[in-house]
Amino acid sequence: MKEEIIKKLEEIVGPNWVDTDSERVISYSREQTNNAYDLVTPQPVEGSVIVKPAGAQEIAEVLKYANQELIKVIPKGAGTGLSANAIPTEPSIILSVERLNSILEVDEENLMVSCETAVTLGDLIEELKKNDKLYFPLHPGDEGAQIGGMVAMNAGGVRAVKHGIMRDQVKGLEAVLPTGEIVSFGGKFGKLLKNNAGYDLMQLLIGSEGTLGVITKVVLKLYPEPKATGTLIIPYQKRRNAFQTVPKILQEGIIPMAIEYMEKEEIEDAAQGIGKEWPSKEGDSYLMVILAEDKEDTLYDKAKVIGEICEEVGAGEILIAETNAEQQNILEIRSHVLPAIADKIVDSPDVTVPRSKLAEYLDQLDQLAEKYNTKIPVIAHAGDGNLHPIILKEEGEVPSYYDQLKEEIYQIAVELGGTVTGEHGVGMLRLKFLPLQLSQAEQQIMWKIKEAFDPNEILNPGKAVVKVLN
Amino acid sequence: MTEKEYNGIFVFAEQRGGEIHHVSYELLNKAEELAAELNCPIFAALLGPTGIKAEELIYRGANKVYYLEDQAFGQPDELFYKENLVDLIDELKPEIILVGATNFGRSLAPRVAAALDTGLTADCTELRVDQAGKLLQIRPAFSENILAQIETVTYPQMATVRYKEFVERKRDGTLEGEIIKKRPTKVQDQSVEILELLEQQEINIAEAEVVVAGGKGIKKAAGFELLQRLATELGGVIGASRDIIDVGYLSKEYQIGYSGYRIAPKIYIACGISGAPQHVAGIKEADKIIAINTDPSAPIFEVADYGIVGDLYQVIPRLIEEVEEDERRDN
Amino acid sequence: MKIIVLIKQVPEMERVKFDTTRGVINRKSAGVEINPFDLNALEAALQIKEEFAAEVIALSMGPTRAEGVIKEAIARGADDGILLTDRKFSGADTRATAYLLASAIDKIGNVDLVIAGEMTVDGDTAQVGPQTAEYLGLAHIAYVTKLEEITEDYLTVVAPTWDGNYSKKINYPGLITVTKDLNTPRLPLLKRKLEVREAEVEKWGIADFETELDPQDVGLKGSCTRVRKIEVPSPVEREGKMWTGDQLREAITEVAQICQEKDRMGE
Repeated sequence: MKEEIIKKLEEIVGPNWVDTDSERVISYSREQTNNAYDLVTPQPVEGSVIVKPAGAQEIAEVLKYANQELIKVIPKGAGTGLSANAIPTEPSIILSVERLNSILEVDEENLMVSCETAVTLGDLIEELKKNDKLYFPLHPGDEGAQIGGMVAMNAGGVRAVKHGIMRDQVKGLEAVLPTGEIVSFGGKFGKLLKNNAGYDLMQLLIGSEGTLGVITKVVLKLYPEPKATGTLIIPYQKRRNAFQTVPKILQEGIIPMAIEYMEKEEIEDAAQGIGKEWPSKEGDSYLMVILAEDKEDTLYDKAKVIGEICEEVGAGEILIAETNAEQQNILEIRSHVLPAIADKIVDSPDVTVPRSKLAEYLDQLDQLAEKYNTKIPVIAHAGDGNLHPIILKEEGEVPSYYDQLKEEIYQIAVELGGTVTGEHGVGMLRLKFLPLQLSQAEQQIMWKIKEAFDPNEILNPGKAVVKVLN
Repeated sequence: MTEKEYNGIFVFAEQRGGEIHHVSYELLNKAEELAAELNCPIFAALLGPTGIKAEELIYRGANKVYYLEDQAFGQPDELFYKENLVDLIDELKPEIILVGATNFGRSLAPRVAAALDTGLTADCTELRVDQAGKLLQIRPAFSENILAQIETVTYPQMATVRYKEFVERKRDGTLEGEIIKKRPTKVQDQSVEILELLEQQEINIAEAEVVVAGGKGIKKAAGFELLQRLATELGGVIGASRDIIDVGYLSKEYQIGYSGYRIAPKIYIACGISGAPQHVAGIKEADKIIAINTDPSAPIFEVADYGIVGDLYQVIPRLIEEVEEDERRDN
Repeated sequence: MKIIVLIKQVPEMERVKFDTTRGVINRKSAGVEINPFDLNALEAALQIKEEFAAEVIALSMGPTRAEGVIKEAIARGADDGILLTDRKFSGADTRATAYLLASAIDKIGNVDLVIAGEMTVDGDTAQVGPQTAEYLGLAHIAYVTKLEEITEDYLTVVAPTWDGNYSKKINYPGLITVTKDLNTPRLPLLKRKLEVREAEVEKWGIADFETELDPQDVGLKGSCTRVRKIEVPSPVEREGKMWTGDQLREAITEVAQICQEKDRMGE
């Protein structure tokens, strides 16, 4: 990066907040994708500069300058993304928002919380522990993830069945456009439940993967904390039966907080990795169902119905965790699956199909596994129809059939009415699979929107959207 | 039951392998303070094999040392200790009994109290005498979140006190007293057999010069490998706050705080520890407290000499580097 | 073989709030649960039961609503449970609690082994186990971290005492208290949990005892200690030097130096 650029950036944010140390630049350029899927993730280039602005105003000045000088800018959160979303492919300004980390207000009257963009999920959970009545239900996984990043990626994760994904939680948003304007959506305070003034650009920014603007402030919905919670662990001999159970539970009118699916080997690795023990000794695959109800009686009524459904499809002995510590334990093990198996896997696509098609999708996955003479373990947010089939390494390497298998995993999902990414986003890893799902016209209008926001293509280039020629 | 029937402060002087444990000298210091108020004698009970320097207890303030000699006291057998202690207490009728809240003391004292049908207050952090001459016992409860003031309505008034809670009575070789040697009044029974000492405790947090400890902010068990690297670099050991022990990342021998070890290292580095009162109670004797925490409002910073607001996973690797660098330069 | 597991209902500590300024404990938002250490005690009993045909009975003292922990223990695998509940039992300190538990164990009769958690998270005393053993006239081993040998006549265990870990053998009848390091407690089966929710828990009040118990020895009357008052301590203060984000470099340099000054002093 040229000396004059560094100087100008130092003028904007102060010399303490500009860093060109090559080791730290590389460390800021990497993200979780590099650790989880190292063999197939692009390595970051060298020569970027880290800039850590104090607030929206400084971000605006950095972007204005970058836009004028045509320097690429990578907005950077906690780096917990999983589809190569914030890895620079040419020397860029790495715009770390880490200093915008205050929780601004817990609004008990409106049931909302306003936070700056770099507040982490862990910070938010900790803050809300002080509040007896309110909580934030989502738990996409890594508690180091920042709220702004979770919004930019429209994160989903484990507890999305009952209250939806990030998109459903955001009521207000402030962002800086690539051209340097500060905009905010959702009214002056971002606390409106109804708001039909013009196009819903807030929803457009949610899930835009840092390609349309830099999110600086977010207002999230909070919910009354459920009085009774319980986590069921349901073991199965055949994974098809596990997936069959999912629509049956929902059909009964039971909407749990989460319905997760995992397999013995992965979940035991995860437990071992954090010095814990997976509670069920039975079966080869599991559903983990988190129930959250107002009353203990309701919880057990529903658990009973789930028990009956599971018995019909041939599940094993169901365990129930009720103490906070034991439930937390299980959630921690679940959250640790990906890091625990990182050494064994090449990639883990992120498909979602309608929940009614889960069992059918699994059958087709089994056929694929047979075709390529491999195993395809699955972890899934089953209640959302969101699956992560795992492509395993062969003798420590990327198998020869990797590209083909991956494409087929996506192809069969799309044919069943599914998507090539349910929650992790497009990033760089899934750009080439977008045409499986989106038509020419659909991709073109997306690109036009990108151009309208970012005419010089400076913000997070090469991610999420592609220029499609007529 | 009247107060006059009971007189004197009785200190159980724990010994291990013939060495008097330092908690005994701490108890004697407090006993001296209480005895001055109550105008009463101080008894020390030493149960152990022959050859222990019982006069050390005199030099630390005991007026009379009752030394029950028997090789069988070389084993931590609570039942055998209890039977003989109870006989001695029945004979002396002290008004106050103090026992160190070591693993052994915490296991022994309740048996003695039950046998005497009297009250026992565990893990006292402070002991005072009120105007009526009653012993006021202050102790933490509710996972160490509160302090309760407790009195005993029966006699003797019994309390256990954590090691390193009080300072030791300074040794004064000119002090005089009486050593009364006795044989045990009861014999050892076989309901519990001590088969063997498997291993000495490997880590010794209480004696370490440098302790690098982790708390909730560490978020994963593997984080302690990083702390261990720093500790090794500085010639110290790792430790943890109670949260960590409760989630099972480390075993209890690493726990620092009221219910864990009280430590007095030269350097204490608290990583991702918020600084709840129960934890701080265990580190207040440290010469230098360095805290690393992402939350600038964490209470640990109020007790720290040096505070770094930052993520321990970023700060510690750089600290290790820096220390290595400095060492290279020095060599 | 008959095994008694001592359990207690405690507030969920994570949700109990402590008000430093007013010096009060606020349990309003906290639910109740089985004392976590007691789950390790129960698990130990269940593991012994897997070896021999043992009957595992959960025993607790508390208000009527504490029957929840008895149900919980049964759902996790205990064969039966008894709740000692009576207005006259309330206000008990560790001495009165231990006396009552011992009386109940006497009344149950023919007990081979009593297992308790090392302490409770609200009381923090670690006294009730050894006191109960004394009232029963049984030997005990405290802070058991490992069961080494399980037989029908004795147990050998590992427990830390003095400066090391000792291997100890306890002949039945006897009592042990166990630590968290001993095992990972199993979860309850949903099926059992649903069954037991409907079931009646056996409750014993003072009238259910005959010669095993002196009414003067239970509850507040039987207690030898009184709580005069409580306070919530505030954090200790020290004058401190703080570095934040932008001064990290400086902080590292200085802290590294401080750490090494110690080294030189030490040598």
